[in-house]
Amino acid sequence: MPTRLLALLPSAVAVNLVIGGIVAVLGLPLYLDAIGTILVSALAGIWVGMLAGVLGQLLFGLLYGYQWLPFAAIQLIIAAMAAWAAGRGGFATLPRSVAWGLATGLVGGLASAAISYQVFEGVTATGVTAVVTLLRQLGFSLAAAVSAASVALDLVDKAVAFAIVGVLLRSLPHRMLSRFPAAHRAVAR
Amino acid sequence: MLLLGVALLAMLLPGPEGPLALYAATGAALTAAGRARAVLRGAVVCLPLWLFLFLLHAVLGEGPRLALGPLSLSADGVDVALAQAGRLGAIVSASMGVLETFAPSRFLDAVAERGWRFHGAYLFVATLQALPRFRDRAAAIVEGQRSRGLRLGGGMVARARAVVPLALPLMLGALVDVEDRVIALETRAVHAGTRRTPLDPPPVRRRDRAWWAAAATAVVLALTWRLWR
Repeated sequence: MPTRLLALLPSAVAVNLVIGGIVAVLGLPLYLDAIGTILVSALAGIWVGMLAGVLGQLLFGLLYGYQWLPFAAIQLIIAAMAAWAAGRGGFATLPRSVAWGLATGLVGGLASAAISYQVFEGVTATGVTAVVTLLRQLGFSLAAAVSAASVALDLVDKAVAFAIVGVLLRSLPHRMLSRFPAAHRAVAR
Repeated sequence: MLLLGVALLAMLLPGPEGPLALYAATGAALTAAGRARAVLRGAVVCLPLWLFLFLLHAVLGEGPRLALGPLSLSADGVDVALAQAGRLGAIVSASMGVLETFAPSRFLDAVAERGWRFHGAYLFVATLQALPRFRDRAAAIVEGQRSRGLRLGGGMVARARAVVPLALPLMLGALVDVEDRVIALETRAVHAGTRRTPLDPPPVRRRDRAWWAAAATAVVLALTWRLWR
């Protein structure tokens, strides 16, 4: 692996893990815990993005428990979608970024719902589980409640995450973009 | 290895007795090893999850009901909630035990001693060491932007708008850091390809091997029993 990518990964994974603190300060029902993965995938391609996602999950496990490790699969999906978006200039404009974010949210949300239901009996992170509990009280079946909550939250979360990464990439100077293999294509320059 | 064994056993053992017994055994082993704090930290992490499991499965679950004081609970839901609570408790406690004993420099030495690739271990340890720095930076960005007039309160849309001025400087800082780290890595000959010599690698004792073998045996037995049934 080139030294630049080896140096980029720890920072991107740290962003994945730390951004949650900023979201918590704002009291928003978002995770944004894949923002570093999306950034790395857009800058350096799918494999580096996947590595960032898995590494982030391993570290999150070390700090908060390895019970959520099955969700590493979602990070792989996000990395793949972000790299695909970057290859098609998906970060060139705000509407494009949001559209790719919504697509990723839909795919990731469905996969996340399957893992939440099959492995965790519907109980995962506090925010999404609160929504699941509310939907159950309204008469939804557990499978329907988990699917609806996961997809709805992931759609918003990934749309915001892709939009932020798009804003950052478009604001970077050419000099910095040229240091990363996939960056220019991501913003269609 | 032990954590992996606990995680696999938690998934393989039939509930609710199996996961609850595993949680009790993990807690007892950690306490006996002088790591009771890991058990406590694990319980704190699990507490909201246990609460939601109780609500979602025991209170809102379907099927035959059983009375517990003023509460009417789903009998099947109670079993599901207890099994999942035991699984989560065992895995989280074991993870907290690993976190309490994990020393990044010893990990790097152990990896070098076994001749594994340096890059993977470097990525893991460098990220772990970058976390406190990024947390401090995030806190400084929040304070800095507030002092420039950014409002963090208000409605959902106003708070969502505040994400960009808070997240962008953190991400931009991460990209700027890359240059310094590239120089640091290249001056340490990260791509030299030669085997690194650890200064003081942690020894693997006979007792460690015995624990690993016990964990592997327990997993194989549980898997065999699960397939046999």
